[in-house]
Amino acid sequence: MKRSLFILLLLFILIPFKTFALIEVDITRGNLNPLPIAVSPLSIDENSRKNFEKILQKKNIGSEISIVVEKNLKTSGLFNPLNKDAFLQAPDIANLKPRFEDWNLIKAQALITGKVNFVEEKLRVEFRLWDVLAGKEMMALAFTTVPNNWRRVGHIITDKVYERLTGEKGYFDTRIIYVAEEGPKTRRIKKLAIMDQDGANNKFLTLGNELVLTPRFNPTSQMVTYLSYFRNLPRVYLLDIETGMQEVVGDFPGMTFAPRFSPDGKKIIMSFAKDGNSDIYTMDLENRIVEKITDHPSIDTSPSFSPDGKYICFNSDRSGYQQIYIMNSDGGNVKRISFGKGLYGTPVWSPRGDLIAFTKLHKGKFYIGVMRTDGSGERLLTENFYQEAPSWSPNGRVLIFYRETETDDKGEGFSAKLWSIDLTGYNERLVDTPTDASDPSWSSLLSN
Amino acid sequence: MKKSRIRNIDQGAIMKLNKILKNAFLIAVACLALSACATSKKSTGQMQGDVYTGTDTVEYLASGVPDRVFFATNESVLTTASRETLRKQAAWLRKNSDVTIVLEGHADERGTREYNLALGERRANAAKDYLMTYGISSNRISVLSYGKERPVDSGSNPLAWSKNRRSVTVKAN
Amino acid sequence: MNRSLIISSVLHVILIMITAMSLPFLAKKPVDLPPIVSIELIQITDKTNIPFAPKAKKIIEKIKEKEKKLVSEQAPPKKVKKIKPDSIPMPEDKVEKIEKIEEDKQNPEKIDNEVKQVSEFEKDELFDPNNIAALIDKSKEESAETTNKTDKITQDQERNIENFGLSLSEEDALKAQIFGCWSIPLGLPYNENLLVRIKLKLNPDGTVSQSEILDHARMNKPGQGFYKVLAESALRAVKLCQPLRVPTTGYERWKELQLNFDAREMLEG
Repeated sequence: MKRSLFILLLLFILIPFKTFALIEVDITRGNLNPLPIAVSPLSIDENSRKNFEKILQKKNIGSEISIVVEKNLKTSGLFNPLNKDAFLQAPDIANLKPRFEDWNLIKAQALITGKVNFVEEKLRVEFRLWDVLAGKEMMALAFTTVPNNWRRVGHIITDKVYERLTGEKGYFDTRIIYVAEEGPKTRRIKKLAIMDQDGANNKFLTLGNELVLTPRFNPTSQMVTYLSYFRNLPRVYLLDIETGMQEVVGDFPGMTFAPRFSPDGKKIIMSFAKDGNSDIYTMDLENRIVEKITDHPSIDTSPSFSPDGKYICFNSDRSGYQQIYIMNSDGGNVKRISFGKGLYGTPVWSPRGDLIAFTKLHKGKFYIGVMRTDGSGERLLTENFYQEAPSWSPNGRVLIFYRETETDDKGEGFSAKLWSIDLTGYNERLVDTPTDASDPSWSSLLSN
Repeated sequence: MKKSRIRNIDQGAIMKLNKILKNAFLIAVACLALSACATSKKSTGQMQGDVYTGTDTVEYLASGVPDRVFFATNESVLTTASRETLRKQAAWLRKNSDVTIVLEGHADERGTREYNLALGERRANAAKDYLMTYGISSNRISVLSYGKERPVDSGSNPLAWSKNRRSVTVKAN
Repeated sequence: MNRSLIISSVLHVILIMITAMSLPFLAKKPVDLPPIVSIELIQITDKTNIPFAPKAKKIIEKIKEKEKKLVSEQAPPKKVKKIKPDSIPMPEDKVEKIEKIEEDKQNPEKIDNEVKQVSEFEKDELFDPNNIAALIDKSKEESAETTNKTDKITQDQERNIENFGLSLSEEDALKAQIFGCWSIPLGLPYNENLLVRIKLKLNPDGTVSQSEILDHARMNKPGQGFYKVLAESALRAVKLCQPLRVPTTGYERWKELQLNFDAREMLEG
């Protein structure tokens, strides 16, 4: 007993001596600079290259895919893809075993390599993500698909890399549906159009014979709900993108507008205007049952479900001016959440559930901003002459919206374009579209 | 002596001239100021508050019957002038009982699209309600809101916006 | 001739003077210009601060957990297989193999960590707090305090750190250097515990001979996928910063060094 006590005492004295050297330093700051990343062109053997050139009219599909990845990473604002001219290692060797010192030399912290093969008329892509500083592989994946899908391969690679390096899901294998605009401001011709998130593969879905507005995807991104002035009757429509089938949603004796899908995709929520009063309704797409959600003599519009389907945020002028409100999905417990100066419109619930994006008009300027779901923590991300209608990227990090320019004294110089901005407010970008564009809606991740 | 006298006369003349010139200048300035006033009045003169009162874009259903009424920002209240216009329309509609109409409600570009659709509908209905109180059957009236989609003036200024905040009565047959 | 010239010039001067004097007033005259639109300045700090509502945190956690389930190492292939054949690429088996190898690499470390923890528990059993307390009163209080903490490693050096730690300027130099090297991943969830502790063994020249993540087990826990991303970013920062700006003297003091990377402050703004 005594002896063990003695040992204990000895230990107690010794331990501090053993550990005194361990100094702790708290690192509480870092930089938010984009991560330097090298995207090596995917290597390709001569035979495969020729086959793909024949099918896709692309000289080197390997480097084309890597360009897609590179552009995606760049637009995210979180990565800084390095100039390929500085790369020392050839793509085929880099994919086998990168010489990390070489990549370290050009300050790359991460490296993407890969290989493309022509296998049974299909495109087989294999890629690896390397941690240059640790000198180890972080991820390796392979895909096989029809050659025409080569751009999507690039997007999926970006999504995987983004997720591995940032800890949150990507948003690159997605599409945007929007309204393509042409013609003078007083007689705009508007068509539904769809394109990849990076502006590629643009396609018009309507001919422009009637006015169309505010298209929105359903959760699986196969269906779109939108407003059409077909036969001068503004009604909410449903469009199946694959089949091109269209139908009117519900049988309302007046204008229906501002449609959106519920998070389970089973209902459409929208406004119905009658006798100068707009209220919010839902219609079940399976049993066609219509429910009235709000009942107030004011304008109630722009409804948007929370991702769990339990709440709805919407726009109302019941206080006298446009403000943002939330309520239960059955219309109970209506609460105003916007109390800042100015008018608030177009609330959209974030897919992460934490924030509501909105448009704000204050002192003649338009802002895109976000607030928490209780209305606190309002942050304005961007200010302009006119901009509105934010739509969330599926990971809840980026907003896409449209912006219109001021015309000159003669009323000329009008244009409408899509823009994106991330939640930091720093990374603002013009989204390329072949024509003028408005009312964007971001799809979910297609490969989900 | 002589010289100085001449100089005095000269000075007097100069002073006089000066005064005349100064007056002339002031008059010119006043004129300019007035005309500036006039031009600025011209732009505000077409608006009362921010409701358009001019006739630039107005068309006529019949002689002396304007086809449209204008609204203040974010408002759907009919002004005195609007009521007068609508009374004329009602009278014309009573005379032409086979005519049916569409009331097209519009908003300016300074609002979100969806809210403006609702606002346009509210404006057209304000006009409809007034026509109905003057004996026009609701069967003859349909309502269509364009929100901010069909401006008449593509300008980005208060006057252009005031012209676009309107409800237009259109013959449907 | 001369006179008229004088008159002319005098008149001109007067005209200019009147113009100069009265024009500014004229410029101010038209009062009914459109109202001045004041531009609201947006503070950058407002923008960078991206806090989450407390309620939302739970939702995020749920989402993260779901994501983790979906995305854990072997998941991507399965996930992609769900999709229609021609519209989406199909991953192949080989990939799983590759990833399994990766997993294997990680396992030894994991076991290592567990073994260490076991030995520490044994150590704990050896201590009988009451007995020691009988001998040294002071230590009772201290050990009581430290047992509250879950981290075993940080316990004992606390009492010595004042005497043997880096001086303020030494510490600042090191901090400033690492601040510059650490790229914080922006996709991390806020309000989570974002502390990564890394223990380093240093060479006298400041290069790192060994680095160890102290909460390594957390990396593989469900719902903590972001932690791996964070830990890797911290490791990259250390590697990028080599050689570390350590004091020129007293190698014994800092040959072992613990860096506590905490991203919360930055992400909360």
